[in-house]
Amino acid sequence: MTIVTGKAEARRKLQPGRSGVLRNIWAHRADYAYVLPAIAVMLVVIAYPIYYTIELSFYKTPPGLQLRDKTFIGFDNYTTILTSEVFWKVTWNTLVWTFGSTFISFVLGFATALALHRDFIGRGVLRAILIIPWVISAVAASYIWKWIYHSDFGIIGAVLVGLGLTDRPPNFIDNVSTVLPSLIVVNIWREFPFAMIMMMAGLQTVPDQLLRAAKVDGANAWQRFWHVTFPHLRNVSVVTILLLAVANFNSFIIPWIMTAGGPSNASHIWITHIYELAFGRQRWGVASAYSVLLFLILMTLGYFYVRALSGNERKEGGA
Amino acid sequence: MAHVVLKDLVKTYGNFKAVNDVSLTVNDGEFVALVGPSGCGKTTTLNLVAGLTPITSGDIVIGDRVVNDLDPKDRDIAMVFQNYALYPQKSVYMNLAFPLQMRKLPRDEIDKKVKEAARVLDMTHLLERKPRELSGGQQQRVALGRALVRDPAVFLMDEPLSNLDAKLRVQMRSEIKRFHQDLKATIIYVTHDQLEAVTMADKMAVMNGGFLQQYDSPAQVFAHPVNMFVASFIGSPAMSLIPLEISTANGGTVLTSAEGWSLGLSPRNVQKVTKATTKKVVLGARHSTIKLHKSAVPGSIPAKVYTVEPTGDVTFVQAFLSGAIVNVSVPPNIAVTPDERIWLEFDQERMHLFDGETEMALEAS
Ligand SMILES: Nc1ncnc2c1ncn2[C@@H]1O[C@H](COP(=O)(O)OP(=O)(O)OP(=O)(O)O)[C@@H](O)[C@H]1O
Ligand SMILES: [Mg+2]
Repeated sequence: MTIVTGKAEARRKLQPGRSGVLRNIWAHRADYAYVLPAIAVMLVVIAYPIYYTIELSFYKTPPGLQLRDKTFIGFDNYTTILTSEVFWKVTWNTLVWTFGSTFISFVLGFATALALHRDFIGRGVLRAILIIPWVISAVAASYIWKWIYHSDFGIIGAVLVGLGLTDRPPNFIDNVSTVLPSLIVVNIWREFPFAMIMMMAGLQTVPDQLLRAAKVDGANAWQRFWHVTFPHLRNVSVVTILLLAVANFNSFIIPWIMTAGGPSNASHIWITHIYELAFGRQRWGVASAYSVLLFLILMTLGYFYVRALSGNERKEGGA
Repeated sequence: MAHVVLKDLVKTYGNFKAVNDVSLTVNDGEFVALVGPSGCGKTTTLNLVAGLTPITSGDIVIGDRVVNDLDPKDRDIAMVFQNYALYPQKSVYMNLAFPLQMRKLPRDEIDKKVKEAARVLDMTHLLERKPRELSGGQQQRVALGRALVRDPAVFLMDEPLSNLDAKLRVQMRSEIKRFHQDLKATIIYVTHDQLEAVTMADKMAVMNGGFLQQYDSPAQVFAHPVNMFVASFIGSPAMSLIPLEISTANGGTVLTSAEGWSLGLSPRNVQKVTKATTKKVVLGARHSTIKLHKSAVPGSIPAKVYTVEPTGDVTFVQAFLSGAIVNVSVPPNIAVTPDERIWLEFDQERMHLFDGETEMALEAS
């Protein structure tokens, strides 16, 4: 009720040529008053931590000392990060982790969605089974996979030895060159059902009549997919990929529980590295600087996400 | 171009027969309209011909080939869908080119055919646009063009005009008719709008509940409906159907109403009612064949006005008669008011008589 009144009031007060942000806010003051509590809460729980992190990133925080003993050092933390070897190693790992997991999860999810889109006996059961990895807790999944990979008791090793493919069980996660791919496999296993669900929902919106028109026009199954289904799924694909990418960039549970970044940083990604710097080694300043950089990267991804979403609406609205 | 033959066509979904023993022949170059109420199996029949739905039993012949097991693309057909089914991401040009590309025609030949189709349908200036940048009528024309470029043996159209507004529908109707005349195309056209069928088609196939009711020229279907369903479905306003009983009075055969009045019959109509399986007969009369009188004349029947609908050209009067509603059209200068007492006179030559039990038309031998 009052919101409506506020708007009507705004219309009355907004004379042509006398606008401006502040005037506009004043004219809508009733509306703003309603969201004020929410804004206040958000300032406390979101804006302040962000501000504090940014502030900390310009300070040296000696480990073992109180935070109030910090000293201002300008951009030193940032230079330290950008010149350290570990930074580049971790960044490379993060890229491999994010893009590897995202790409393969998406392709695998899409493929399963396509397979499950056709009608066959047991489809419902299969679909339910395939969703399990996504619904079980990441912590539990990490421990399960730790055992599956275990060099002495792991089932994969046992099977490989049993088949006579290797003499000794391979060492998946204690090996610098195999640890990251092994973790990516776990991550994909856990998140491809998400892509599958998204794409299955998308597939259901492909207009049947278009597929039939393509059939009459002489398109075979592959051509129908390429010319009708795939273009139709473009937006849902973009959204799925971006959501996966953001989630993967932010992954923590699987890499931290399974290897905690080891051996010798081979499986450290940004988040685990920041966590270790901050809460393991109490290097708050450097960790904050890392966080600020991460924040900027994620904001960029978020921008594209929002753009993909609103692009969607624009198109639907125009059609 | 080619003829199409459906022979004992059946399509069942589980226990439900969507298409029931439909047999008909569409001659080369003929425009056939498939009409019937919603859910009567028109689309299903068309999809069977197109090969988009597998047939349960029966045969479909296109040209001289039995096409029962052929894919849609091998049946030499083109289809126009109700919602146009244009590829939204492709330009008009690419939409038109698509069926040709799928048939691997050389690029310059595709270009020639697309431009020719665009010229015929007067949309050369639209070729670069995307479907969503077109009006409904323009989209419809693109859909028609996409069927046209292929030069198929048969055109199948499923309610292609139902999404257009009334004015555009009339315009597109004549365009499709022209298109048929110019191309001498064989067209099977589904519609539930009987006016479309009557105005465009050489023949109409009236369906109901999966059964083919009547297959004949629109004039013939209009003048000689084979049963009560066709009689009431074709024509607007609908034919009035009045349930009566056969009896004898003064040595002659008459039809009597539960309301007490009776109607004498011409010798020819007497011949017809003797064919009835029981005493129950239904009298059918179109609005234009009934005369309205303000006072009793010999052979007329008393009725009471229910509603009056002036449309400008004619005024439609609805009257209660023997439990049925009877439509009568009168010149606009005749003033009638609801609840007024009137007398109706039926034209013996142009009345229809149906068997009350089987609902089939009664014919003099
Ligand atoms: N895939 C299907 N499974 C089960 N029943 C179906 C299927 N497709 C159609 N039917 C049934 O078959 C009957 C005929 O359907 P059809 O689509 O041919 O009707 P129609 O005459 O085209 O009607 P409308 O004018 O509403 O388009 C309907 O009763 C419908 O419910
Ligand atoms: Mg239909």
